[in-house]
Amino acid sequence: MASTSPAHIWLMRAAFPALALLIVFFRLLPLDTVPRQWAPPDLLMAMALAWSLRRPDYVPIVLLALTLLLADLMFQRPPGLLALLVLLGCEYLKPRALTHRDTGFAAEWISVSLVLTAITVFNRTALALVGVQQAPLGLILIQMLLTIAAYPLVVFVSQSILGVRRLTSTELETLGIRL
Amino acid sequence: MARDRSQREDYTTPLKRLLIAVTCLCLLVIFIVWRIDSPRVERFRAQVVDAVVPNMEWAMVPVTGAINLVRDFQSYQRLSEQNQELRSELRQMQAWKEAALQLEQENARLLDLNNVRLDPRLTYITGVVMADSGSPFRQSVLLNVGSRDGVRDGWAAMDGIGLVGRISGTGRNTARVILLTDAASSVPATIQPSGQSALIAGDNSAAPVIDFLENPDKLRPGDRVITSGDGDVFPAGLLIGQVASDPSGRLRVRLSADYERLEFLRVLRHHGTEGIYSPGGLVAPPPGAPLPRPRPENLGADNG
Repeated sequence: MASTSPAHIWLMRAAFPALALLIVFFRLLPLDTVPRQWAPPDLLMAMALAWSLRRPDYVPIVLLALTLLLADLMFQRPPGLLALLVLLGCEYLKPRALTHRDTGFAAEWISVSLVLTAITVFNRTALALVGVQQAPLGLILIQMLLTIAAYPLVVFVSQSILGVRRLTSTELETLGIRL
Repeated sequence: MARDRSQREDYTTPLKRLLIAVTCLCLLVIFIVWRIDSPRVERFRAQVVDAVVPNMEWAMVPVTGAINLVRDFQSYQRLSEQNQELRSELRQMQAWKEAALQLEQENARLLDLNNVRLDPRLTYITGVVMADSGSPFRQSVLLNVGSRDGVRDGWAAMDGIGLVGRISGTGRNTARVILLTDAASSVPATIQPSGQSALIAGDNSAAPVIDFLENPDKLRPGDRVITSGDGDVFPAGLLIGQVASDPSGRLRVRLSADYERLEFLRVLRHHGTEGIYSPGGLVAPPPGAPLPRPRPENLGADNG
């Protein structure tokens, strides 16, 4: 199958950081220099989770870590912390990709929402523990809820346009050696 | 097959777990190092931004332009009512212009009388805004001037009218300006005409809070807020904005700089204000110096 050939896998591995850079690019455009009352969803986080659940082999851990760290550095966040939490969230979801294959999208969405909530809570707790100045709670909550709301959209775009969909069992067999 | 897989997992899973643990540890170490030695990591961050963002500039400029064009088109819908507003504003402005011209002439005459020399060291470099912070939680912009152009941390950035922020983090080709609206920004200021000093602290809203004020009763909305130069942070006398109070009664600053359209920013070269450390020869002679001759007794008697 085309989506299991090594060339295709490496292409998609390159596509992930490329998309991440595209997201960073659009966020960095100097359009909003006035503080806003709301926060846009964190699409990079949603994409990392969606891809981890669908094709773990497209987002190997080192690639994921480097991409998230770059985003941390570009967005003026404490470097490493959010990357670490998202990475743990992805690694938590990766082994569950097979079970979610049978249960449908609603169950997947709920578990992703729980992971996103956990990431937000742990992030805030860790920042509070080391005494870093925090963003307003309202903004963070808005961002978390919008990210959860945007998750189906990210999944839809990933599946329909980029072709990141779950493998069928025959494809799993062919890929089984590598997984 | 099932047995195969379990055997393979026995072999690969520990390796994978090790990789996860090592990667997580690396990220954790980066975070802890940042917490302990923030300036060094922030310098590294400035270098990363310096390496990445200028490469995006060729695409950023047209995309930003296109989006702004679309936004401008949306504002055409309100064209006629804007026109009316502008006309009435123009009428007011003409009155103000007359007043300003008279004041300018008066000011020039007075300066001439005083023989005042304006600070010649306060020159500036103009930079173009390349990118914003990219995060709704931080308020900063990235300029296309950096250490190559002599920009240093701590200098003030203004638009044509008022203070915008301070330089914090310089790469070779880029410099980050922390805006006055950022939660980490606070600037010592003086409020005219009452002359009180205060701290202008950003809180992620469009109007920063006036903090550490001695006597809030003396303030009136519309008072001018200018930098005080305390703590050698900025040159004194840069316009920040006007006092305003929000619905809950907190005093805030309505910023003079146009934050909606930050495009070109001036970075003021500032080499520190000179302090006065000795009491001065006229006030008291330095210890050990010979005493000045006493005033002759008969001098006062002659005059009086």
